[in-house]
Amino acid sequence: MAEKIEKWYPGEGKLTTGWAIIYVILVLGFVSACARLFLGLGATTNLSDAYPWGLWVSFDILAGVALAGGGFTMAAAIYIFNLKKFEPLLRPAKLSAFLGYMMFVVGLFFDLGQPWRIWHPLVMWNPHSVLFEVSWCVMLYTTVLSLDLFIIGLERYGKQSWIKFFRDIYLVLVVAGIMLSTLHQSSLGALFLLMPQKMSDLWASGAIGPLFFTSAVIGGMSVVTLESLISARVYKRKQELGILSDLGKGLGLVLLVYFAMKVTDLYARGVTVWVWDKAHFFFFVELFGTVALPALLLCFKEVRQSAKGLYWAAGLAAFGVVLNRFNVSLTSYGGYRQISYFPSFIEIIITLAMVALGIVIFDLGMKYLPIYKSELTVEH
Amino acid sequence: MSKAILIDTTKCIGCRACQVACKSWNDLKGGKATFSETWSNPRYLSSNQFTRIIFREISSPDGQLHWHFISRRCMHCHDPACASACPVGALIKMPEGPVVYDDGKCIGCRYCMMACPFQIPKFQWESAVPLVRKCTFCADRQAINLAPACVTTCPTGTLLFGDRPELLQEAHRRIGAQPGRYYPEVYGEKIAGGTSKLFLTAVSFEELGLTQAGFRTDLGNTPQGLRGREWMSKVPYVALAVGGLAVGLHYMNKRRAEVHAGERQEDENDG
Repeated sequence: MAEKIEKWYPGEGKLTTGWAIIYVILVLGFVSACARLFLGLGATTNLSDAYPWGLWVSFDILAGVALAGGGFTMAAAIYIFNLKKFEPLLRPAKLSAFLGYMMFVVGLFFDLGQPWRIWHPLVMWNPHSVLFEVSWCVMLYTTVLSLDLFIIGLERYGKQSWIKFFRDIYLVLVVAGIMLSTLHQSSLGALFLLMPQKMSDLWASGAIGPLFFTSAVIGGMSVVTLESLISARVYKRKQELGILSDLGKGLGLVLLVYFAMKVTDLYARGVTVWVWDKAHFFFFVELFGTVALPALLLCFKEVRQSAKGLYWAAGLAAFGVVLNRFNVSLTSYGGYRQISYFPSFIEIIITLAMVALGIVIFDLGMKYLPIYKSELTVEH
Repeated sequence: MSKAILIDTTKCIGCRACQVACKSWNDLKGGKATFSETWSNPRYLSSNQFTRIIFREISSPDGQLHWHFISRRCMHCHDPACASACPVGALIKMPEGPVVYDDGKCIGCRYCMMACPFQIPKFQWESAVPLVRKCTFCADRQAINLAPACVTTCPTGTLLFGDRPELLQEAHRRIGAQPGRYYPEVYGEKIAGGTSKLFLTAVSFEELGLTQAGFRTDLGNTPQGLRGREWMSKVPYVALAVGGLAVGLHYMNKRRAEVHAGERQEDENDG
């Protein structure tokens, strides 16, 4: 896996359609990013005073971080709950988590009005601000994930003495990662505690913090499942169906817990649920289509033990997490704003380019780093 | 002493001199006026427009039409949601009353715009180096003992600048003296924890149809920022609890696995 590849582009053999599309998107994305930086937000996005937050906040930041929840979820399962059987899934989870957080950082860079001031929260503190806490946690957790990847890199180059040092302090990294993730995954939801009147009752909950945290666990587990299935196909490796069906059992359980939390919350707040309008449509799709349905699917052994079944269940669950973040940050304001918002071409292209870049980096990681090697796994 | 402005909308004639004075003092570009279905002009506040008059035509129960002119600007809350939201502390409430913004700190995240219950902070979208803009309560004028530009220019005495407790007293005196003229509630006295802009109106804001246009009446009397601060006050404990639990469970589960393995070993030895 680590042999040198004498080609300017990653991928096997000749330039495939898939890679060609990725490169086109990357080039368009680069041009769009330059336009965004030099022309400003107003000229390149459809954001406005009525919609200060748009696609980049909903997808790159909120959804990206939630889907990157696999890093801390798998670390917790393996090191805290001692479920060693999931160990083969840890490294890919970390790689994808790292990419998710890079997406957050880069997405935020383009979204900020003054990106060159992205470091300000480091020295300018407002401990009252939830966003202040989120920015610190994300910075620290991205550092933890970078160290994780760094250790994997050290293994590739066989730096044993360094690896030993990191093995000795590894529990500190694991615990720090879990702590930071718990805090910022829930605090990203707590950002919306300040504006319940502007939001639709369907999502303006005082329990939005715990709900965000739980759905981040769902996002993480479903992405780890999808990642393992897809990379097994792409890199011609054996599918880890045994482990994945165990993980699917866990995912089903968390989905059930999340569904119960959502329903309890709606009932406790006395929200009018059975109405038909745009917001309710998205709400129904979210709650029934992407929480209840995958939970139900995963109840069946046949689904858990087939690649196709897991694709569907995990795919729906992951889509549900993304939909939830869009609903909280965009759909929720539909009844409140006179103006509607749809992202501009440049906003969409920059987001797609970040996904494409993530795929390229993931591919490089799979080729050059011992991501699926088990003999060098950090032991405890 | 915290300053405030009492805005007696029943005295306003809709001349918009305040809009002009605000633009002059703050050196804001003039906008292009366009026709629309309302007399309000411009249609929205923006980074270039810190105050505007909303024109409302409401018919009273006896069928008579009445004009209402409502001055819209930053409320300068006692406990502003924007200041609680801002991650870098660019927005602060001065003890003298104004909620002011530090150009040098802002990173442009726009969380203040999301958080403000009155939809006040506006962004310089057209700029490549954008900042947030809103009414400053003429903090610069107040520093040299001048009243805000809008107050100075108002020809009808709609705007009254002074110490907040005294203005509140005056507001309630007016309501008491002419109960038929005023809706018996001072908007800004208690809402969202109280604001430095106090509104006297002829009818309620619900009746004016402005609850969705920046004068919400469903905000309650607790400041919006409190929810974020309550959350933040729990963060250290959650961090400690999660960290402690993680370490504890790690060793407990490890030990359990070891004991389990040991038992199995013994069983095998016995067998």
